[in-house]
Amino acid sequence: MGVTYEQVRRVSAELYGAALKKVPDNTLDALRGAIETETHELARQTLQIMLRSAEKAEREDKLVCSDSGVPVYVVEIGTAVPMEGDIKRAIKDGFADLVGTIRPPILKHVTNPLTNERGYVGKDMPIVTWDLVDGADWIDITCSPKALGSGRWAALEIFTYPSLEVIEGYVMECVMKAGSQHCPPVVIGVGIGGTFDHCAKIAKQAVLRPFGQTNPEPILAAMEQRLLRAVNKTGFGPMGTGGDTTALGVHVEFAAGHGFTPVAVCFNCWINRRTSARLYGDGRVERLE
Amino acid sequence: MITHRMRLPLSEADVRTLRAGDLVILDGEMTITAGLPTHQRIQEHLDADQPLPVDLSGGALFHLGSYSQDGPDGFEVLYMNPTTSTRFNAYMPGFIRKLGLRAVGGKGGLDRACATAMQEAGCVYLSFLGGGCPLLSEAITGVVAVHWTDLIAHFRLVTLRVAGLGPLTVGIDAHGSSLYDTLHEDAAARMAGIMAELRAERESPL
Repeated sequence: MGVTYEQVRRVSAELYGAALKKVPDNTLDALRGAIETETHELARQTLQIMLRSAEKAEREDKLVCSDSGVPVYVVEIGTAVPMEGDIKRAIKDGFADLVGTIRPPILKHVTNPLTNERGYVGKDMPIVTWDLVDGADWIDITCSPKALGSGRWAALEIFTYPSLEVIEGYVMECVMKAGSQHCPPVVIGVGIGGTFDHCAKIAKQAVLRPFGQTNPEPILAAMEQRLLRAVNKTGFGPMGTGGDTTALGVHVEFAAGHGFTPVAVCFNCWINRRTSARLYGDGRVERLE
Repeated sequence: MITHRMRLPLSEADVRTLRAGDLVILDGEMTITAGLPTHQRIQEHLDADQPLPVDLSGGALFHLGSYSQDGPDGFEVLYMNPTTSTRFNAYMPGFIRKLGLRAVGGKGGLDRACATAMQEAGCVYLSFLGGGCPLLSEAITGVVAVHWTDLIAHFRLVTLRVAGLGPLTVGIDAHGSSLYDTLHEDAAARMAGIMAELRAERESPL
């Protein structure tokens, strides 16, 4: 017994469908909190309509957004869990199952960047990040459908021995560039250090972190707090039509690197699509979110 | 905050009463698309003085993607939702002027050149809720026409009948006022102060 092809295939499909129809509870709580603190009437009303949209989607089994994005998964494999079958193929087949069965059907968003042709399949799709977790007897699968609305504003720049001021200045530059356009209030993921590829990966990990958790590193915990305050002083507000709530959270991760220090910044829009499940070797599947 | 209820097609007088930051609820017919190829094709028609398959003169053209499919009684539209309008900045001033559009919209706004065209022509930009699929789609009461069906669903030119669509936010009015420009200018003007506050907080944490 172990985690099987069939299990991974089924869970991959379920996680994608659920991510399209259910805004995470943790995000709904953050939106409700924002309604309490928001001082602009139009912004408060926009936040309330967001909540209504999320509640209606969940209640009536509907898509929250028409842009179902491209399939992105993060898979963490415990080294103590046996596996049966082609686990990599299972994710691809799971997404194909979802496309074939989800109601209402989803639009074609997988795009060939060389021709701009769109469909449901494409090179390297789904995009999967793999990690190992020593000793764990489970596999965690996180699904994060990603679309242009907030995806296009992600950026990465490489600095040499940047001060915290330079790093924070770059984050604010990215916030200004996105302005009103990324369906705020957003969550902002920031990666500092590592290498080009690793920095983007940790920024993505940061964006997927639930609200209410801060980085255990004290320098970053303080940075997260002050950057959130700074971003919300810009005034872009919900849907970018003005208000105090441009971001619901700024999450920062770091990694050691060389003196060349990449800083990556990415955004998730207010619906903050994210689901995850834990699969155990004995067949149990636990939905984490 | 003022909420207007208006019937499409909007008159110039209707449009001129709207101010950036107002809310609008719409009834009537509108045309939507989320496609860059669609905009290219509209441009080609306008350049060649060829009629579009749907008469957009004085109408409403919104940047909304939709899922249309063949049903037993013709095309049905299962859902709709806005897309980022700034992708179409280059096309919109020409469309607004040449077609005399009274309303455009989507999410994220349009640039200054578009706002100028809107002021001249008497046209507003309406901001739809991104992630508003369940609420926006509920307002669809009928499918008038689906054109350019050779394109993928969200790129098609879809004309719908809606009732109680909104509230939508007037992002850019017909008097040259754009929430997007104002907010960006205000944020840029505040940025030196924001950076100074970040510096002060780094030096003496709250």
